[in-house]
Amino acid sequence: MLRATLKGMASRKARLVLTSLAVVLGTMFVAAAMILTATMEKSVTGVIADAFTGIDAVVTPAEDPAAAQGNTPSANLVPGDVLETVRGVDGVDAADGDVSGQVNAIGDDGKLVGTFAPTIGFNWNAQSTGFNVIREGRAPEADGEVIVSAQFVTDSGLDIGDTVTAYSYSAERADYEIVGVFGLSGDRDSLAGETQIAFTTAEAQRLLTQGEDAYMAIYVQGDASTEDIADAISADYRVQTGEEASEEAAQGFAAVADIMGYIFLGFGLVAVFVSVFLIINTFTIIVAQRQRELALLRAIGAARNQVVGSVLAEAAVIGVIASIVGLGLGVVLGWGLSELVSSTAMGGLPVQLQVPATALWALAVGIGVTVLSAIVPAVKASGVPPVAAMREAVNPPKPLRGITIAGLAVTAVGGVLVVLGLTDNLGDLGLSGFLSGVGIAFVGITLLTPILSRPLVALLGAVMSWSFSGRLGRLNAGRNPRRTAITASALMIAVALVTGIATLVASFKETTTDLTDSNLESDLIVMGQQGANIPTFAPETLAEIKALPDVAAVGDLYGEFFGAEVDGEPTPLYASEDLETSLGIFSGTVAEGSIADLPDDGLAVNESAAEDRGVALGDTVPVTFADGTTEQLEVTAILDDSQLTDGWWVAPTQIEHFTIPKPMQAYIQVADGADIDAVQEEVETILADEPEVDVTNNADFIAQQTGQLDILLGSVQVLLALAIIIAIIGVINTLVLSVLERTRELGLLRAIGMTRGQARRMITVESVIICLFGAVLGIAVGIGLGWTVQQALEEEGLTSFALPWDYIVIYLAAAVVVGLLAAIAPAARAAKLNVLNAIAYE
Amino acid sequence: MPLANPPAPQITRTRSAVTASNVWRAYGSGEAQVVALRDVSVQFASGAFTAIMGPSGSGKSTLMHCLAGLDTTDRGTVHIGETPITGLNDKALTKLRRDKIGFIFQQFNLLPTLTAEENILLPASIAGAKADPEWIARIIATLDLSQRLTHKPTELSGGQQQRVACARALATRPEVVFADEPTGNLDTRSSAEVLRFLRKSVDDFGQTIVMVTHDPGAAAYADRVVFLADGQIVEDLHRPTADAVIDTMRGFETRVPLAGEAR
Repeated sequence: MLRATLKGMASRKARLVLTSLAVVLGTMFVAAAMILTATMEKSVTGVIADAFTGIDAVVTPAEDPAAAQGNTPSANLVPGDVLETVRGVDGVDAADGDVSGQVNAIGDDGKLVGTFAPTIGFNWNAQSTGFNVIREGRAPEADGEVIVSAQFVTDSGLDIGDTVTAYSYSAERADYEIVGVFGLSGDRDSLAGETQIAFTTAEAQRLLTQGEDAYMAIYVQGDASTEDIADAISADYRVQTGEEASEEAAQGFAAVADIMGYIFLGFGLVAVFVSVFLIINTFTIIVAQRQRELALLRAIGAARNQVVGSVLAEAAVIGVIASIVGLGLGVVLGWGLSELVSSTAMGGLPVQLQVPATALWALAVGIGVTVLSAIVPAVKASGVPPVAAMREAVNPPKPLRGITIAGLAVTAVGGVLVVLGLTDNLGDLGLSGFLSGVGIAFVGITLLTPILSRPLVALLGAVMSWSFSGRLGRLNAGRNPRRTAITASALMIAVALVTGIATLVASFKETTTDLTDSNLESDLIVMGQQGANIPTFAPETLAEIKALPDVAAVGDLYGEFFGAEVDGEPTPLYASEDLETSLGIFSGTVAEGSIADLPDDGLAVNESAAEDRGVALGDTVPVTFADGTTEQLEVTAILDDSQLTDGWWVAPTQIEHFTIPKPMQAYIQVADGADIDAVQEEVETILADEPEVDVTNNADFIAQQTGQLDILLGSVQVLLALAIIIAIIGVINTLVLSVLERTRELGLLRAIGMTRGQARRMITVESVIICLFGAVLGIAVGIGLGWTVQQALEEEGLTSFALPWDYIVIYLAAAVVVGLLAAIAPAARAAKLNVLNAIAYE
Repeated sequence: MPLANPPAPQITRTRSAVTASNVWRAYGSGEAQVVALRDVSVQFASGAFTAIMGPSGSGKSTLMHCLAGLDTTDRGTVHIGETPITGLNDKALTKLRRDKIGFIFQQFNLLPTLTAEENILLPASIAGAKADPEWIARIIATLDLSQRLTHKPTELSGGQQQRVACARALATRPEVVFADEPTGNLDTRSSAEVLRFLRKSVDDFGQTIVMVTHDPGAAAYADRVVFLADGQIVEDLHRPTADAVIDTMRGFETRVPLAGEAR
């Protein structure tokens, strides 16, 4: 029986190759995802391990130093006397303290250096070399000297010999002379695109530890055990081996690769999911073609389970071969992606290819999916009655009732899961509930596609029916709703996913635009790019802007995001020099009380936030600031809920307690009749000495806010490309089967005068209709999906719903192109059909 | 009674609708070569109903396919009316079949997606032309199909389907209708209906029909029966009766093939 199976497979090479391709693609992406993650982890670990070469032990504060900011509280530091103690431990050859943190350095354009501003600042000491390699110049010897990384040179436009201005949140600006440039070991400019600047230890401490003689960590060389060191110092400090510390450090860096890995795993799983339909379809086709052969096998005595076995064996062979090929290609893709991630996001990190055991999951997925998908067609095949061998194969269309009811039920289950997942009813399982709900809903909708195909195909076909062969193609497309539907499903799922995402992005843009246009009464906005820290500017600058003759009003915003508490709960606080004016510019309104002349102990809060905390007008609430001050503030105003003004507002006199007592944003209302561009230029001049912020007009502001989403949207289109490849294979499969099944019909048509061109057109129209059907359905489902998510996020601020018309048009056009491409081979086959053979009776 | 010589081709005075002159057709090559037609010359008179008969493998279907431009000849020429079809390319042949020839096959004669009426109008639709409505109405009436026009083929009996196929074959008023075993799949009653219609279309409409059949009863409806054996014409009966046809066929079984070694 196996022999017969294998021989049979050899005679259907083309179809098997096409089917395998779907499995190959799915396995490839899953494997690549695993390999990317493992490779990046290994590579990053390798680099970090390099940095820790020769470091035998690391002493850090017992408390997690991850919270270390420019204003690091001294509790998170290792004092200088501990360093002295460590140096004195037996077996310690050398020990150095590390001071590092975020520093703002101003580039030659007057703005902060670095894409991910601010820059990493640290103290250059004996241990700095090894991992860091001086390329030019020398190490800093005086407090007014710095050495900078090669990436810093690239990003800042400054070079050796130039003067750079730097400051931190706790230290004022100072000028430094660049006396050297360093690179990282392996001739790299940076680890992950970051910019670095190194000072003398004393200067680094002035900037980063508020001048205290303290360190973020102590690096120890020598063969003293960690226990020996720990015994010598207090239990407030943790002692790790160099290896342990290096692993811990690597974890943070590998996170970027992990995210990429998840994205590709997602793509891979979608590809696998879509492949399932293709495999089911292909095996249904193979079984249909083999109906006589299978019936003959049954007639000469093969048992039903032997027939099932025969079909499943075929699936297993395809699954194994395709998965192995997919795994192989996945290794190549994973390696390529790792190189790409390394060069674009990791500053040219040397890639150490790693094929983890988890990559074998891709094999299991590929083989498992293929065999499982073949079960239904296999069981159907076994039901072929032996007499079918003697009869003409006829496949009467089956009623669609059962499949439709099942589809409705499954869609409902998926829909409920989606809604539950989105409405936080599943708690921590929300995301997985949502995702599995989407998956289940797709299965359900796929089951519904046959019933939907009738009206939709008729409608789409009506457009195509301008020629008679087009009309025949349309009729053929509607002929076997199940097959048309399952073929279109592959495209449907992918288009639904990308449309869903495009819809969300469009809705977000619409929301932003709406907010800006209808709620923001300002013409110009002063703010910085959100980086690792909150960009601010000097209060004096704000005053200068307010004083400009053509400025009618300025709304300003101070914020406290670290460590403030309202009634014992961590809560961000806001303040404005003139809350009344600011609220006016944000179109905020007062529900109860008054904000005019907010008293020093006054507090304004929006309705729902007040409700959440059970606070009412006139209540007194304890507010603790980051500097430790606690004030009893009285709620003097309740604001109407509005996205731009929601939150807790304190009086301007409280600003001095903020971590950063500087304004973050200013919203400028230009006087009636004044030229906005001219005012923008004036503000730009004032901001010349403010490295962290820029002034933009409303249109640029919206573009800035939504620009990153466009990049996201663009990268998601990869998914579409992947699905298109699989969809093309599916459509080719179906069309080839149609041509085979309708050989006699085609023969008849050709005999009574249909030209080859007409035959080609007929097949092409069928193909385009199938693809358009998939795309239209996918767009509809995607919009539904996007709408559901938008509704769920309405409370979170996604208030507008918008359709991505540009993308919808692109997807429809893509569907037509897919249809045209997929039809090429089958149409040629139909056109070349030998009329005589086609109409021969036996 | 066995014939001493192969019959000479009948040269009729009436205009001939289809003419084959010295047609040869072989399949395969070398040892496996089968010569299906050996130097066949025959004319089919316009407005006549001719049956082609012969045992299995005699070449009767091949002859019909060559005459209808579905198959090519190795040697010799075929004319439809005055038009030589030998050597025409696929496009020209397709157009010729569309405009000048009607087909009736044994089965798979109709497109399942189209209604009976759409099937009848199929050749005109393919050509992008408008069929003559009066003529179509007349055929439909003659074939008693007016109640069935909106039905799909699957909703029609075998006899009805074949009548629809007859209507389609005649719809463009072709120069000649080729019928390949048109009653092969039908019961006796439906067969008789179809054959009576073919007869009537010759008598009333002056249609030319060439029918391949192995049923002597069907052949008896024809004006003339041409017998093929081993790729050659071995008999030519005019005004045949079923009995005469049976007698002739019986003759083949005992007779030594004539000129069987002709090159």
